Amino acid sequence: MEFSLLGAAALAVAGVYSALRWEAARGNAGDCTADLWDIAVAALTVGLVIGRLTAMIAAGVNPLSSPGDIAIVRSGVDTAFASLAALGTIGWLGRREVVAIMDGLAVAALAGLAGWHAGCLVRGACLGTITDLPWAMTQPGSSTGRHPVELYAAVAYVAAVAALATLRRYRPPPPGLAAGLALLVAGAVRLATEPLRLSLAGGPVLWYLAAIVVGGTGAVVAIRRPR
Amino acid sequence: MVATGPVPFGLTRTGAWILVALLAIVACGAERVDASSVPPLPETSPQDLADRIATSGTPVVVNVWASWCIPCRSEAPLLAAAAEQFAGEVGFIGLNVRDSQQGARSFIAEFFPDAPIVHVFDAGGDVPLALGASRAVPITIFVSASGVPHRIRTGVLDERTLALEIDELLVGG
Repeated sequence: MEFSLLGAAALAVAGVYSALRWEAARGNAGDCTADLWDIAVAALTVGLVIGRLTAMIAAGVNPLSSPGDIAIVRSGVDTAFASLAALGTIGWLGRREVVAIMDGLAVAALAGLAGWHAGCLVRGACLGTITDLPWAMTQPGSSTGRHPVELYAAVAYVAAVAALATLRRYRPPPPGLAAGLALLVAGAVRLATEPLRLSLAGGPVLWYLAAIVVGGTGAVVAIRRPR
Repeated sequence: MVATGPVPFGLTRTGAWILVALLAIVACGAERVDASSVPPLPETSPQDLADRIATSGTPVVVNVWASWCIPCRSEAPLLAAAAEQFAGEVGFIGLNVRDSQQGARSFIAEFFPDAPIVHVFDAGGDVPLALGASRAVPITIFVSASGVPHRIRTGVLDERTLALEIDELLVGG
């Protein structure tokens, strides 16, 4: 049995939980009455299931005739549909205060992404394209240096978490700005690191661009809207 | 104006949506292909497999699979896509083990109908041992162009891992 993927997922969940606890202790989500942890868990679960089902259907595997395959998450989860499903779940569960909930989850979502990408160290899946930079990493038994591209993404997300948490702590942003910035950062980090990743089909670049556009637009609207 | 009346057949609105989603999944699922279009798999042996690898002239990915293996079904679309993408650069051999011809042919018809993968049949399941692998399924063995097993991955492959190992093979020549 292979538990490395579970280890990486545990790091992601730990990132979400820690960020929510950290923000709650500082009153950063004071304008939100919903239980953010419950909503985060529901969004993660729904996103994972929908992303897995979508990946199976895209690969030509019928989930009803091969139900056992749903549990084999390693075979692929469609990132775009998982994200849409997670966002849809948040929107549905928090429809009475959706902007406040999105803002409340923004830092936690980025922390979760940081944990997931750092989990490459557990999964043994940090490496990307070839490089001779001093910090290049190699596979066991290989002398080919490669970009630790997943660690680049993890570091970028950690920096974004620190910046956004500081903003929310010391200069409370207008409603919707944190959520917009988080979506923009999530797309931008993936887009920036995609050329360094190894992939068979190429990453969902259009979806990353869509996240940047939607997140950026949301941030601009939040800033310009009168408070 | 939003309709607020009862949904037919005693379903709640949420139940109706779930039913619609399930029907959509069924509609989107793959249809089974007739296995009679797939010829019987040739029997292989450690020597036969070594000869196939040696004569390929390229790095080779040997995937050990069986039709009764659920994880094998799950990673099959990925291998088929990789075989098509790297056709001519990397050879792909499907080593079917501890299976029946009928089961293997049905599996190929469903998951590898057009993929450039050479499938061979090992009823006893001992051939992977000759390459240094175990009797587990699935296993993927990455063999360099010189015929030396470069890495053995046990369990389901993910896309990044498969892309990385193929890149390692191509870099290593």
